Amino acid sequence: MGALTAVEYLSNYMDKKLINEFEMLLGKDRVLSETEELLCYSYDATSKDFMPDAVVFPLNAEEISKIVKLCLKYNTPVVGRGSGSGFSGGSLPLKGGVVVSFTKMNRILELDEENMFVTVEPGIINGDLKYYLSEKGYFYPPDPASYEFSTIGGNVAECSGGPAAVKYGVTKDYIAALEVITGEGEIIDTGSKTVKNVSGYNLTQLFTGSEGTLGLFSKITLKILSKPEANSLILVSFDDINNGFNAAISLLKLRNRPSMLEFMDKSSIESVKGYFKSDIIKIDGNFLFIVESDGSREEVDKSIGEYEKILKEFSPIFLFVSGKDEDKKVIMDARKAISPSLRKYGDLKINNDIAVPINKIPGMLSFLEETSRKYDIPIINFGHFGDGNIHVNIMLDKNNAEMVRKGETAKYDILKKTVELGGSLSGEHGIGLEKKEFMKLKYGDYYMNVLKNIKKAFDPQNIINPGKIF
Amino acid sequence: MKEKDATYLNCVHCGKCLPVCPSYSIGLNEFFSPRGRVRLVLTDNADKLPLRASKVAESMSACLLCGRCVKICPNDVKIDELVIDEKIKLNELAGRAFSIDKIALKALKNKRKVLLKSALKIANIPFVEKLAGRYAPQPEGKSFIQNKDLIFIADIAGKNAGGKNIFTAGYFGGCVFNNIYPQISSDTVTSLTKNGIEVFVPKMQGCCGLPFISSGDVESFRELALNNARAFKDKNLDYIVTSCASCSYSINKLYPLYFDANDEGYAEVRQFSEKLLNIWSFFKELEKKGVKIKTGKLKKEIEAVFHIPCHLSNTEGFKPSSASENLIGEAGFIADKITGLKLKPLKYNYCCGNGGMFNITHYDLSREITKRKFEEIKEASPQEILTSCSGCIFSLKDQKGILKKNERLAVSHLINVYAESLKESKE
Repeated sequence: MGALTAVEYLSNYMDKKLINEFEMLLGKDRVLSETEELLCYSYDATSKDFMPDAVVFPLNAEEISKIVKLCLKYNTPVVGRGSGSGFSGGSLPLKGGVVVSFTKMNRILELDEENMFVTVEPGIINGDLKYYLSEKGYFYPPDPASYEFSTIGGNVAECSGGPAAVKYGVTKDYIAALEVITGEGEIIDTGSKTVKNVSGYNLTQLFTGSEGTLGLFSKITLKILSKPEANSLILVSFDDINNGFNAAISLLKLRNRPSMLEFMDKSSIESVKGYFKSDIIKIDGNFLFIVESDGSREEVDKSIGEYEKILKEFSPIFLFVSGKDEDKKVIMDARKAISPSLRKYGDLKINNDIAVPINKIPGMLSFLEETSRKYDIPIINFGHFGDGNIHVNIMLDKNNAEMVRKGETAKYDILKKTVELGGSLSGEHGIGLEKKEFMKLKYGDYYMNVLKNIKKAFDPQNIINPGKIF
Repeated sequence: MKEKDATYLNCVHCGKCLPVCPSYSIGLNEFFSPRGRVRLVLTDNADKLPLRASKVAESMSACLLCGRCVKICPNDVKIDELVIDEKIKLNELAGRAFSIDKIALKALKNKRKVLLKSALKIANIPFVEKLAGRYAPQPEGKSFIQNKDLIFIADIAGKNAGGKNIFTAGYFGGCVFNNIYPQISSDTVTSLTKNGIEVFVPKMQGCCGLPFISSGDVESFRELALNNARAFKDKNLDYIVTSCASCSYSINKLYPLYFDANDEGYAEVRQFSEKLLNIWSFFKELEKKGVKIKTGKLKKEIEAVFHIPCHLSNTEGFKPSSASENLIGEAGFIADKITGLKLKPLKYNYCCGNGGMFNITHYDLSREITKRKFEEIKEASPQEILTSCSGCIFSLKDQKGILKKNERLAVSHLINVYAESLKESKE
């Protein structure tokens, strides 16, 4: 290696000084700056990686505020990170800088049983919160597939959703208030523990799904529900896609909507078929879905009876109902088997989480089939029927450059079609780094400028998670 | 490492392994996480960045080899094997960087010359200062195996109860149950003979090798593996049984990984590895073979928790068929046979924090994990703690500073309770 240039020298010097200041502020054990340690904070669940210059572990809002102010002084980017399990690069330090790990801020601050709200620190794991509430008879519905390891802070930043969305909505439907540290290091409180709240712009909702680009959260107040007493599942499959589609639509029209409506198309059925063996359920057909009903035992039994009757009108080839925990586990295991079963198709996965209006699902699925044939690459689809959210997995061979190129083109075609059908580029993962260049498919310059100006209002120096979304 | 074994290439860094990792749970720092370790190995092997061996070693040595991340990984990344391989590599590079407790290990290996009792003392000398206030297990009685092979004849009543077949089983004690808690060995043997099993205990057997391989000393590990395999060879045994979960992890899982087809002793070690069962799987297997496993009764009822050792895995295809099996896995089958034993659930089934050498090299971290374990134990408020692994017993007995003196709980092996219950039953 040659001698350092003056700029490099200056930057190294600044880094060291900044790290010194962090250590003074937080103590040495809450600052990481050695290469080997930083390496462990250079990735998330995407295939991209960027090295941070430091990792810090704050314990409260005041510390975060001081961290941001130090970063302002040194003009260094600052990026929040929960479990680093995101699918869009939201927690990656694209331009280096400081990663703020929230893992040590993982307490439950208050359970307000009278008003039915819970206030937590952002680093708490979604599943831990769910478990805590469930023991006390409460329920926090948003359930991204990563709920057992992703943090609430990350869930709020990306506005995560999951199977429960069909009946209960997504993260944004449960956020009552946020304490946020802006790009100027100011601490603001955005909401209140009331369902009704019209006082100025709704910043709570603006921060939710902002992908960590407007500020860092330090406190999150969530609405909670009473825990449903029971649930039962149905697994049903159809040979005729239209029959399957119409059957699912009929269930959504009911007042007692399913609490889950997950579907697998032909491609994912084929993928799981050879991978997952079961004595009690059959994975077959061209359109399969898993339906859940929850509520009181009585309500559940009534709903399941009703669903069954409706589904049978659409000539299913297989229908299995169970309220028993061990059967339910087998059914959900079939759904969970999709992801690992994909590996046989390739070692590089381009994972898109598009969302289309529900009535456009069949159209989108046949377009995906066509695209797969056109480029001769496997595209495996499954998703959440109730909100039109389809996980489109383009499976590629990492070492086959021609194939990877075709995969990228296929991704472009698919996102373009999504926008044409009136859909959204990302249902629950966010734009981050992964879909940045596709924003123009949907939005014009004026719109993009409005977004940029909003960011500027909170973060004039552009140090909070720069380079994401736009 | 063979390229085909490079399972780290399958890691998609999803983060699923973070919450299950005991070493991550303490500092919540990803440098000490399964995913972090995979990235360090990957980067090191690809020579992407200049990494310092000593710093990489810091992360690897804090791995307890509990295998929880391996179980939960959706892409089958064998993180425990990666860590071991990396330790071996670092060990070779740095000249035994990991064997900080070399003397103890040496004493274990030559157990015929030095009793483990004195070995513990010797081993502690270089660490006298560090060890101040630490818990050191006290040997309880004389070693189970002295200086000759032992043979235990099947109980006649058991024979009758068992029907026509009499099975023979070899007993692999492991260092701790042989030297420190010999009662566990004798209770295991009694439980077997009372069920009509003839038991053979070769004196040639030694340490299972886990402390060596987890310190990156593959040479000694292989030596011990071969010695153990040969000790049980040619004895015409139907089965080989161990009541220590970590020994079974080492023998069942790790032995085959470090013997290639053209290595000396390959066939013997493989055969030994395949034949060995942990005690709970063995009882299930006996029942399958038509042996009616005896039931027992305790004089005084006890309410206990069973700490499931990380290294205790159920045999493939195991499906719980009783409430106790649901609670604690295959061990529940024996718990069901003991009238008067009431099992209480543990909420999370956390790791005990022992991790073998981890407890010696990272005592403070180990204690932090043990503390967390005791939170869930306290919540269950049992009269006694049961388990079935030597390492777990060490850490669970180390209650000073965690439980008040008058709150201390007895720790035993479930086999102790079973043997006790058989004593009481008259048949």
